[in-house]
Amino acid sequence: MTHVSLKQLTKIYPGSIEPSLDQLSLEIASGELTALLGPSGCGKTTTMKMIAGLLEPTAGDVTFDGRSVLRDKPEHRGVVMVFQNYLLFPYMSVAANIGFGLKMRKIDQTEIDRRVSEMLDLVKLPDLGARRPSELSGGQQQRVALARALIVQPNVLLLDEPLSNLDAHLRFEMRDLIRNLQQDMGITTIFVTHDQEEAVVLADKVALILDGRLKQYDVPSAFYSRPVDKATALFFGGQNFLAGTVNDDQFVTRFGSLRLSEKTPNGPGTLTIRPENIRIGSTADGRNSVVASLIDKIYLGTQTRLQCQVGETQLQVIANPNDVLEYEPGQNIPLLFPENALWVLQS
Amino acid sequence: MSDRFKIGLLLFPALSIIVVLFFGGLLVGLMRSFNYMPVIGLTQPDLSAYVSVFTDKEFYLSFLLTFHIAFTSTVISCILAVAAALLLRRQFIGRAVVNFLFQLNLTVPHLVGAIGILYLFSQSGSFARLAAEWGMIAGPSDFPALVFDPYAIGIILQYVWKEVPFIGVIVLANMQSIGEDYESVARSLGASRWQAFRHVLLPLIFPGMLSASVMVFAFTFGAYEIPAILGANYPAALPVLAYRHYTDVDLAARPEAMAMAIIIALLSAVMIYFYVRFSRQRVRS
Repeated sequence: MTHVSLKQLTKIYPGSIEPSLDQLSLEIASGELTALLGPSGCGKTTTMKMIAGLLEPTAGDVTFDGRSVLRDKPEHRGVVMVFQNYLLFPYMSVAANIGFGLKMRKIDQTEIDRRVSEMLDLVKLPDLGARRPSELSGGQQQRVALARALIVQPNVLLLDEPLSNLDAHLRFEMRDLIRNLQQDMGITTIFVTHDQEEAVVLADKVALILDGRLKQYDVPSAFYSRPVDKATALFFGGQNFLAGTVNDDQFVTRFGSLRLSEKTPNGPGTLTIRPENIRIGSTADGRNSVVASLIDKIYLGTQTRLQCQVGETQLQVIANPNDVLEYEPGQNIPLLFPENALWVLQS
Repeated sequence: MSDRFKIGLLLFPALSIIVVLFFGGLLVGLMRSFNYMPVIGLTQPDLSAYVSVFTDKEFYLSFLLTFHIAFTSTVISCILAVAAALLLRRQFIGRAVVNFLFQLNLTVPHLVGAIGILYLFSQSGSFARLAAEWGMIAGPSDFPALVFDPYAIGIILQYVWKEVPFIGVIVLANMQSIGEDYESVARSLGASRWQAFRHVLLPLIFPGMLSASVMVFAFTFGAYEIPAILGANYPAALPVLAYRHYTDVDLAARPEAMAMAIIIALLSAVMIYFYVRFSRQRVRS
């Protein structure tokens, strides 16, 4: 169980002027599962490699339980990294791959065999020890890579896009396996992903990195209900952004005022509400309700996507198909903005 | 016209040259090694040329010398080539220039290199004269015998100079295609820099390194010109010995030369087989 701190971590690659990672600071509690989320090239893998000691930071510090590990060699940090493409050693058997870390530590071969067998059971591949990696499916290779990392009982486990090379079915299976193993073993785990759904489902906390900078570090639900800015909201599928002014807990827009549930400083701002949080209908007193014009209606099976317009403002709504059966494009539709679903973004 | 026929037709010119020149030459050589040379009246094939070769003490001394030259130069070239490739795959200022210089002597013929070695390292060469001039030795003749010497140092020096970039280029390309992630995995699993090289990178580059070193071994075992220029008279390397028999004024010595050439080819093949087998076992165990 290791507490990991990243302090103003910065990386500028030789020949580049712009930092790939710019002053990233994170506190990752012992035994926590943290996601580094962001699009390709935002600095996620660079961060992982600096934690693992495979890259030297240009500035900043990495500490484990308060002690700087920057001077520690990769093999002495107690950090194991599982790469996106697994990188199983192709000329070794599955068992030899899993036992590799123990062999490097010069552990007795009998003990290695015993622990490899335990690991194979743990990742549910008990009979595949003698096979070569090329004889395994993608999901099996991922399990072997995980077993190879876990067998050395690392203080910190780093997973680089652990599910990106798997098909949908295997993703669910591996997601559960990773989550269960991490919780059982209590290893501080950091994983990199570009998939916000993956981050939200797996992680205790998510760090959103955009253009090398930390945008938000919070519990997953906060990214939907309390995004720090428009870029963060957009990354998590936010689509409705209304310009206006906050005035005594009311958000004044072009089409009327909406009551806010949270204390918000007065002044101009951008209000956001997720498409799935807008309800069909209105309150008795008409508060936080508007009548919009239905522009388009797309049935998506379990939900229906509506494109509405209020004055010049476009709104995206995701509704239960049964709630919108009676509305067709061209008609008016009542929309309700629940107070607790409204959030004013920082300017 | 079927695809198979088209492929056969396209390959025919190249294959016919290989078949006629290589197998034709081999067949003629084999016949002559069995004392079958109707031109000079030898029409009864026998094994006398082989018996003569195998009962000659000089043959065994030549074989040992040739094996020493081929093995030592291959091993040294391999080690230096891998070390150079490890350095050249790193990013540093002036890497392109160093890379160019490293590969430069690939274009220089062996013969030119041998003459260079002769001028530089022989007892009448530049280094001997400089050493004498600077008072390090009494006279040029006191310079250690590095050319025409019994240990074939000059020959090995020439082969290493020429073959390091050859193996190095192949190994470097191999390393660059593999990347550094495998080693990163190994390091994060607890391997030291050396362990990551020994247990991960080396087995990964091994197929390329083995192919290149087999080529070097086969070439150095069978090459004539460098031992002829830089080697001692006795014992001479096997190809030199075979050539001497071949150019003997007595035409009857030719079957012996052919027998020796066949033996060199067979020994080469057998040694390459064991070299490949042994290396694979060592690296992957």
